[in-house]
Amino acid sequence: MKILVAFKRVIDPDARIKLTADRSGVDTDSVEYKANPFCENALEEALQIAEEHDGEVVLVSAGGPDIDKTIRAGLALGAERAIRVEIEDTVLDSDLAARVFAAVYKEEEPDIFFFGKQAIDSDNNQCGQLVAEYLGLPQACFASEVVIDDDGEVATVTREVDGGLETIALTLPAVITADLRLNTPRFAKLPDIMKAGRKTIDVMDLDDLDIEDTALKIELVSLEEPSARQAGVKVGSIDELVDKLKNEARAL
Amino acid sequence: MSDLFNPTDEHRALREMVRTFTERDVDPQASEFDRSEGFNAPLFRKLGELGLLGITVDPEVGGSGMDAVAAVIAHEELASADPGFCLSYLAHSMLFANNLERNGSLEQRKRFMPDACSGKTICGMGMSEPGAGTDVLGMRTTAVRDGDHYVLNGAKMWITNGAVSDTELGDVFLIYARTSEERVNGVSLFLVEKGAPGFRLGQKLHDKLGMRASPTAELVFEDCRIPVANLVGEEGDATHHMMRNLEIERLTLAGMSLGMARRSIEIMNRYAAERKAFGRPISAFGQIQRHIAESYAEWMAGRAYVYHVAGLLDLDSGGNRIDSDGVKLYCSTMAKNVCDRAIQVLGGYGYVGEYQVERLWRDAKLIEIGGGTIEAHHKNMTRDLSKLDKLR
Ligand SMILES: Cc1cc2nc3c(=O)[nH]c(=O)nc-3n(C[C@H](O)[C@H](O)[C@H](O)COP(=O)(O)OP(=O)(O)OC[C@H]3O[C@@H](n4cnc5c(N)ncnc54)[C@H](O)[C@@H]3O)c2cc1C
Ligand SMILES: Cc1cc2nc3c(=O)[nH]c(=O)nc-3n(C[C@H](O)[C@H](O)[C@H](O)COP(=O)(O)OP(=O)(O)OC[C@H]3O[C@@H](n4cnc5c(N)ncnc54)[C@H](O)[C@@H]3O)c2cc1C
Repeated sequence: MKILVAFKRVIDPDARIKLTADRSGVDTDSVEYKANPFCENALEEALQIAEEHDGEVVLVSAGGPDIDKTIRAGLALGAERAIRVEIEDTVLDSDLAARVFAAVYKEEEPDIFFFGKQAIDSDNNQCGQLVAEYLGLPQACFASEVVIDDDGEVATVTREVDGGLETIALTLPAVITADLRLNTPRFAKLPDIMKAGRKTIDVMDLDDLDIEDTALKIELVSLEEPSARQAGVKVGSIDELVDKLKNEARAL
Repeated sequence: MSDLFNPTDEHRALREMVRTFTERDVDPQASEFDRSEGFNAPLFRKLGELGLLGITVDPEVGGSGMDAVAAVIAHEELASADPGFCLSYLAHSMLFANNLERNGSLEQRKRFMPDACSGKTICGMGMSEPGAGTDVLGMRTTAVRDGDHYVLNGAKMWITNGAVSDTELGDVFLIYARTSEERVNGVSLFLVEKGAPGFRLGQKLHDKLGMRASPTAELVFEDCRIPVANLVGEEGDATHHMMRNLEIERLTLAGMSLGMARRSIEIMNRYAAERKAFGRPISAFGQIQRHIAESYAEWMAGRAYVYHVAGLLDLDSGGNRIDSDGVKLYCSTMAKNVCDRAIQVLGGYGYVGEYQVERLWRDAKLIEIGGGTIEAHHKNMTRDLSKLDKLR
């Protein structure tokens, strides 16, 4: 069984970020990067399935050579090899990313293509869905449990939906996107960190892939910092609190 | 420019892994084990799963094959949350595993290392005695050859991981003992396993000021019979092994001081920005600024010194005592002072356990004593420096 995992690099969510002077993006001069947490859940699930079904896990990511560090972190966790599609971060929207991943899918022909349900930088939550659409594959988004049958032909996926859980069965190959509750990602073991440096990252150019439409569908107009939180108020009595909740906050 | 603190991608990945592990699994249990003076064996075994216990050991016998910088990184990160737990890690991975890796035969390494690296066995090293600490070559424990055995008599004191509970010994130890009266060339090194006839727990020590999550014990040898196969190296050549292994021991102890100092700086820095007095955050007051700024600068100076020395230290070489003592001399007192300032900045809150700095302060003091007192470093460094005419 072959499993492809989309593995995105994002700015460390715990870091304090600044915008560039022209507000066209985040000032990346001194930020630290990490793997997108949802992608880590996707990778963990892929590794567990591969261990059980004697499979191979391949990472795929799009970006410049500076994302190799994040890719190697994924290789240290147990993925066998990786594919990096050479492209500048700044000229990538969800749609182009999805077209790139769909093209890589055609090259690799995996049984499962795992994504994180969203990336925590732009929170778009659409890459997995678009890939499934472009490839005409069944999809299960927001997975909180994945079970693969013994023959490796059917995935039974529990999805976290508003107000409860939904369980669906998909015929493989299929696209699955991971939620945080799917699993707890493992830690890289030291010997595997050492080995990761010697694993292959195949670099592909956009031209190597058969992608007809490389136009960006989204234009970033500007970014704003969140407004500073306003100071709270002290209330004198329960009555006053109830009154404010009702009439000012309209929470009751 | 290369990063002194993370010279390679592997070092950076190691630091990130240990930091995440520390936040998730080590931080939450630290104060509980400090209070109970217990040893967290299940957590210790997790270090084995991650490949940290044999960090400088050859992969051929179960280790991870990393260098002195990696060892410092692991100690700095673990000690930022739980110095006591980290001290047990140090005794196992540096005093036992690294020592046996450098000085043991392939046969001995194959026999003991896989279990030490996985955490199946919990190990330590015995050099100090009730009557001999700084004057370590004044040790009185003897080993006398009797056919294909050595017979050990004496006691070792302050042995980290010597016990895993009030009544139970740790598993395997490297024990220094006299095979002749010759002061320097009369010391030999032995592998002693729990269960060896005549080997017993003297006592698990209680009421330590700090490092309470790492068990410290007295070990007693009464006509303890050890097979000749357990002699490490040649008879009488162990002083050399001891001196060489003390270098990585002191370097990683200094690494622990860095972790404690860093955490204390983070805590006082955050607190000073939030705590208000006289209508302003206390970070607006000059005296508080001095505590924070001096602590940061001293910590960074210590950090640069430690990683510089670690980057140059070849684990198979000796003769680096000026700086392996120097980093511990500087960082031990630096961290103790930084922890003290953190308590001061937190006022009454710094004096209670919830804010962690009082525990770090208690733990930080040990580094001025264990692995050589600061006075021992003064003595060693001055002696070695006196042989140098010029400093490079
Ligand atoms: C928590 C803990 C864990 C430990 N773990 C281990 C372990 O795993 N294995 C192990 O072998 N040991 C271990 N030790 C022992 C440690 O290495 C010794 O405590 C240390 O070497 C000091 O020896 P001592 O306590 O006998 O003090 P002493 O040597 O008696 O020193 C007492 C005082 O005299 C000073 N002094 C002594 N000689 C001189 C001199 N020539 N010049 C100036 N001042 C001098 C010392 O600096 C000190 O201030 C541990 C100790 C502690 C507290
Ligand atoms: C064990 C214990 C027993 C106690 N018993 C009593 C008791 O019986 N009764 C009682 O009333 N109180 C008691 N206290 C409280 C004690 O008096 C306060 O802890 C002390 O006054 C400091 O106040 P704080 O802890 O709020 O720290 P803070 O006042 O918040 O001070 C935090 C830090 O800011 C510094 N700082 C504050 N203002 C300035 C400034 N203007 N310039 C420079 N630095 C500044 C302080 O020096 C300190 O380093 C006790 C405290 C302890 C720990």
